[in-house]
Amino acid sequence: MHLDPFELHRPTSVEETVALAGRLAPKFDYLAGGTDLLPNYKMRLNTRPNLIALEDVSELRGVSLDRVGAMTRLADLEAHGGFRSAYPGVLEAVVEVATPLVRASGTLGGNLLVETRCFFFNQSFPWRESLGFCLKADGDRCHVVPQKEKCYATFSGDLAPSLSVLDAEVEVAGPDGRRRVPVTTMYDAAGDGIQRHHLKPGELLVAVHFPPAARTLRATYRKLRVRPSFDFPELGVAAAARLTADGTIDHLALSVGGTETFPKRFDELTGPLVGSRPTLPRVRELAAEVQKRVRPVHNTFLAADYRKKMTGVFVRRAVGQVLGIGEGRP
Amino acid sequence: MAAPEAPPTYRLIGTRIPYIEGPLKVTGRAEYTDDIKRPGQLIARLLRSPWPHARIRSIDVSAARAMPGVAAVLTGEKYPTPFGVLPITHDETAIAVGKVRYIGDIVAAVAAVDEATADRALQAIRVDVEVLPEYTDPKTGVEKVAEPIHARGLNGTNIQKEVVQHFGDVDAAFAQAHASVRVRGSYAGVTHAFTEPMATIAEATPDGRLTVWSATQVPHYLHRALSEVLGIPMHRIRVIKPEVGGGFGGKSDPLPHEIACAALSLETGRPVKILFDREDVFVTNHGRHPTQNDVRIAVDAGGKILAYDIEALIDGGAWSSFGTVTTYYNGVLSMGPYRVPNFRYRGRRVYTTKPPSGAMRAHGGTNIRYSIELGLDELAEQLHLDPFDLRERNALPPHSTTVNQFRITSTSFVKCLKAARERSGWDDKFRKLPYGRGVGLGCGFYISGSNSPIHFTPKMPQCTVHLKADMDGGIAVHCMQADIGQGSNTLLAVIVAEVVGVDLDRVHVVRVDSDVSPVDIGSYSSRVTFMMGNAARRAGESLRDQLLAAAARVTGYPPEKLVVGHEKIEVRHRPDISISYIDALHAAMERSGALLASGAYTSPPMGGDFKGARAGTAPAYSFAAYVAEVDVDVETGIYKVEKVWAAFDCGRALNRLAVEGQIEGSIHMGLGQLMGETMNYRGSRLMNPSLLEYKIPTPQQMPQVECLLVGDDDPEGPFGGKEAGEGPLIATLPAAGNALYDAVGVRFHELPITPEKVVRGIELRQQSGKSWKGVS
Amino acid sequence: MDSPMSGRASIRLTINGTAMELGCPPERILLDLLREDLNLTGTKRGCDLGTCGCCTVLLDGRPVLSCLTLARLAIGHDVTTIEGVTPATGLSPLQKAFVEHGATQCGFCTPGFIMTGTALLRDHPDASREEIERAISGNLCRCTGYLKIVEAIQAVGKETP
Ligand SMILES: Cc1cc2nc3c(=O)[nH]c(=O)nc-3n(C[C@H](O)[C@H](O)[C@H](O)COP(=O)(O)OP(=O)(O)OC[C@H]3O[C@@H](n4cnc5c(N)ncnc54)[C@H](O)[C@@H]3O)c2cc1C
Ligand code: SF4
Ligand code: FES
Ligand code: FES
Repeated sequence: MHLDPFELHRPTSVEETVALAGRLAPKFDYLAGGTDLLPNYKMRLNTRPNLIALEDVSELRGVSLDRVGAMTRLADLEAHGGFRSAYPGVLEAVVEVATPLVRASGTLGGNLLVETRCFFFNQSFPWRESLGFCLKADGDRCHVVPQKEKCYATFSGDLAPSLSVLDAEVEVAGPDGRRRVPVTTMYDAAGDGIQRHHLKPGELLVAVHFPPAARTLRATYRKLRVRPSFDFPELGVAAAARLTADGTIDHLALSVGGTETFPKRFDELTGPLVGSRPTLPRVRELAAEVQKRVRPVHNTFLAADYRKKMTGVFVRRAVGQVLGIGEGRP
Repeated sequence: MAAPEAPPTYRLIGTRIPYIEGPLKVTGRAEYTDDIKRPGQLIARLLRSPWPHARIRSIDVSAARAMPGVAAVLTGEKYPTPFGVLPITHDETAIAVGKVRYIGDIVAAVAAVDEATADRALQAIRVDVEVLPEYTDPKTGVEKVAEPIHARGLNGTNIQKEVVQHFGDVDAAFAQAHASVRVRGSYAGVTHAFTEPMATIAEATPDGRLTVWSATQVPHYLHRALSEVLGIPMHRIRVIKPEVGGGFGGKSDPLPHEIACAALSLETGRPVKILFDREDVFVTNHGRHPTQNDVRIAVDAGGKILAYDIEALIDGGAWSSFGTVTTYYNGVLSMGPYRVPNFRYRGRRVYTTKPPSGAMRAHGGTNIRYSIELGLDELAEQLHLDPFDLRERNALPPHSTTVNQFRITSTSFVKCLKAARERSGWDDKFRKLPYGRGVGLGCGFYISGSNSPIHFTPKMPQCTVHLKADMDGGIAVHCMQADIGQGSNTLLAVIVAEVVGVDLDRVHVVRVDSDVSPVDIGSYSSRVTFMMGNAARRAGESLRDQLLAAAARVTGYPPEKLVVGHEKIEVRHRPDISISYIDALHAAMERSGALLASGAYTSPPMGGDFKGARAGTAPAYSFAAYVAEVDVDVETGIYKVEKVWAAFDCGRALNRLAVEGQIEGSIHMGLGQLMGETMNYRGSRLMNPSLLEYKIPTPQQMPQVECLLVGDDDPEGPFGGKEAGEGPLIATLPAAGNALYDAVGVRFHELPITPEKVVRGIELRQQSGKSWKGVS
Repeated sequence: MDSPMSGRASIRLTINGTAMELGCPPERILLDLLREDLNLTGTKRGCDLGTCGCCTVLLDGRPVLSCLTLARLAIGHDVTTIEGVTPATGLSPLQKAFVEHGATQCGFCTPGFIMTGTALLRDHPDASREEIERAISGNLCRCTGYLKIVEAIQAVGKETP
């Protein structure tokens, strides 16, 4: 499989990168590890004539407990002892991404912006042509939920939920300078599923920042997939909590990915639990309510109703674990 | 009574012998088709149909042809001769003629200077069609349809083949039965998914010859199909089989792209290469048929099987492929490992507008076996019998005949049962493990080489092996058998070395090349060990006899008094008197130069005298009894098969290392079909033509495997050996399926058993009020 | 500096210890560069989409998928292929173990496993069974069921002092 020709740009600083991006927008893509972009390009999915490789932008690298550069490879994160012990919940997500060979090139930034997935989208050009193209690439309708406005492709990144529950923030650089966006609100819940986040055209992820409180949380990530390797999440549940000395809930956050076009936090459900003592019935109620609220569609391998049902199970187990009242399998 | 004679022992046979080409494979030096590059070679790409079923009105290739860098564009009319792997069902063409029959059917082929140019040319081809109705469900295809997919469908239906057989009196047996069970199985299609995509290079040369390198497991059938379709006599075509990166049945049909590639070379006078991408591989398919079967089993009060009554509805996809055989096998491969006195079968294979199904490892024997073994498990429970006891009571005895006239010679099935029961600790586990954990028994039976060669002049041997020993002391072995990773090259060398008494490194297995390799009909039906093994043994014996004759002349002892030792020939019982192998060889060469020897194998006549009697006949059969232990997360339905005890009767294991490899690989593939592999169709459309969405198990999903090789020597197998390439897959699925029942109290009659089905099954059980192991 | 790299401008990289200068358009994939341009055909193409591991090579010692790597991003780096880990004579200990343990059948996946396994043994010679399974879980084998592959890697690990 060959790629169509493009121009490859290799800036070395963030400023140079965003300037270049400003000039080329919207006819370019950033290229990080390429493990998501290149398969899509090989299948002629929304290819563009310019690639800006982030490989040489040194500011995008570096791992500390406060900040991880967007170009950090997942394998390097995995191997970083300090990071691993500070954020075991994130590590649980990292090691579940794809395969070790993909993680050797795949980066944190690329993972946060990984393209959403759908059985009708992640297909070759002739495959899609034969059915009729869809909204997300080259077409004007949706094969999953037939209508012409919205795409329901599934958000399939593993790291976003695990970073969201730690209230991590993304540092973004753009033509108008730099800003910080919480991972939680970076994704556009109200969008059309095609423009999926609140980044402006040409904006670059520079790093992920961790608030000091993140290290005081107990966190976990649980992923549903058919095989323990290769597969994208059919559901990904991250939870983080802190208990006070007397055992009441001081902080609780929950984020669910793999079910809709963006990872979803459930503060309105977890918030009321803060200040109370963790009990199994409350956790079960929470899980049941989250299950009710997620709306997966059938565009991945496992059926939507099963993924919905498992959301309840996974939430109960994950929240149970971070609250120290675990039940069911680890 | 005389003590039973101890089986003979051998120097090499029966030991653990690493593959002789292993060093080439681990260094990347083994040469696969795509590793070959011919000077000036063009790249071919195929335009595939976007329609499931359509009549072609016209194809305009003028723009494509005019593009710079495009050397040729071919459509179907140029080579319209139909072909197919079975001589009675030639319904394929190299490129579609008149109609397309599935999404992926080849509409046109382009040869160009590179892939990008060829792809651009494909985009420029305009095809005008009349879209025809698609047929996705074989159930509708059994009735008269508006537009049959093939003219040859039975009476205006899409039925490709119907088999009806009845032996004994099934209705009477059911009327007398003490108990019976009915299993309605539903099995999704699965595919081979070998790691090496198909690839072919064809080179027509000015001397009027055509050379074809192809990733094929049956070079001989390819040779024939090329000749028939291209109209070139076989002796002017040379087929070379480079190393092949797995086949499992998927490279056994002559495939349209191989012929199209050759046609493009004839057209351009240049070498042409075609390399499949993964989607090409998936839509070419020829994998295991999506199947629905309805199996009834009757037993008497003691658990003796009285009758099977079986129906199978088989989704064939667009072409016949091996389908006629498949239709028979889905019935007749139920004739072992148990004695079944009454048997009725109706099987129908129906064309649909989907990628064709064909032969895949344990072809025809897998889905039916799953239904039967789950049924037997249920019967054992009804009768309060241990599943092992029930099986043992019904075991086919050695040297017996089945009701449909299969000749059974060796069987160590009872030994398999005993070994699996004992090693697995069955008696302490069955129904005794906690809820969510379980053990299950599944058994297997498979042909060790189809007795009837297909597409072949029946009076000729199924395999011939040639040897050439020259002054360097090396022995070159020629044979068209196809090593596709199963280790047949190694076995060939081992047998020759064993018989001639030389070191293994003296034996060179020459790459398959129809110019020099005598015909063997290829790697399918688990025939190679048995048939090639016997031919190799005979060739070796012929060479050995020439050496013995020469040694006799040198030593003055008569040949009957001489035997081969290790690298020498010695006087029987007088090892001190000997002549070295090299001296004997050189002495033998004084008269004739290089020694030549030949050996062949033809299977003996067998089978009954009725229509279809030969289907399923084989010179020997393999038997298996597997125990699987599973662990289920009952809330998520995610489960793991933790361990498999695989008791297998392949006669004598000729190369233990290779046999273990076949068993372990088979278990992996069987569990794939059980746990998640599926050709996922929506209508006629394959939704998952990728290795990401086609769920081959990962290393973490593999159970521990204990291979229990308990087979006794087969009387006709080479050195007592039988097949181990396909049979080992079969028992895997029902063993695990029955273990799931033991774990959670649900019988899963639909494959694959994905976690969602486990959860659903447990819910249904709970709703029915049935508790399991004390858990409701 | 903004320097679009188009056309067949030449690139410099080190392959199996040899520094090379090659013509290479921006869209060239490393796997194609190796197989088609340099005839290093030991690296296999099983899927072209990151889903099989047959194309694994070492980039500065890390096993990566050459089918998802732009050749130009290897500029200035060391690429090691199966040809590069094979000794001039004989086999590496891991290659030998693969042969002896029956860890190769059709052999098409094998170069990829050797690359992954070589890197694993270099970094973690004492890897446990589970760690090995995880480390090779991006390489697909359809023949062996992986058991003998794990065994072979473990056997070499045990021999490593
Ligand atoms: C077989 C296979 C399995 C996979 N399984 C999983 C899985 O289980 N879970 C999962 O999460 N992912 C999976 N992936 C997807 C992917 O490999 C990972 O998400 C990876 O982390 C992406 O990182 P990358 O650097 O390769 O991204 P790239 O492919 O380089 O980029 C991905 C997207 O992000 C954009 N981008 C990258 N970096 C930046 C930046 N700094 N600023 C702005 N935009 C940026 C790119 O323009 C592109 O649109 C899988 C991929 C493959 C091939
Ligand atoms: S959800 Fe609909 S629009 Fe989105 S990718 Fe799938 S088919 Fe296309
Ligand atoms: S060819 Fe690269 S992963 Fe399959
Ligand atoms: S040995 Fe054939 S795929 Fe691994």
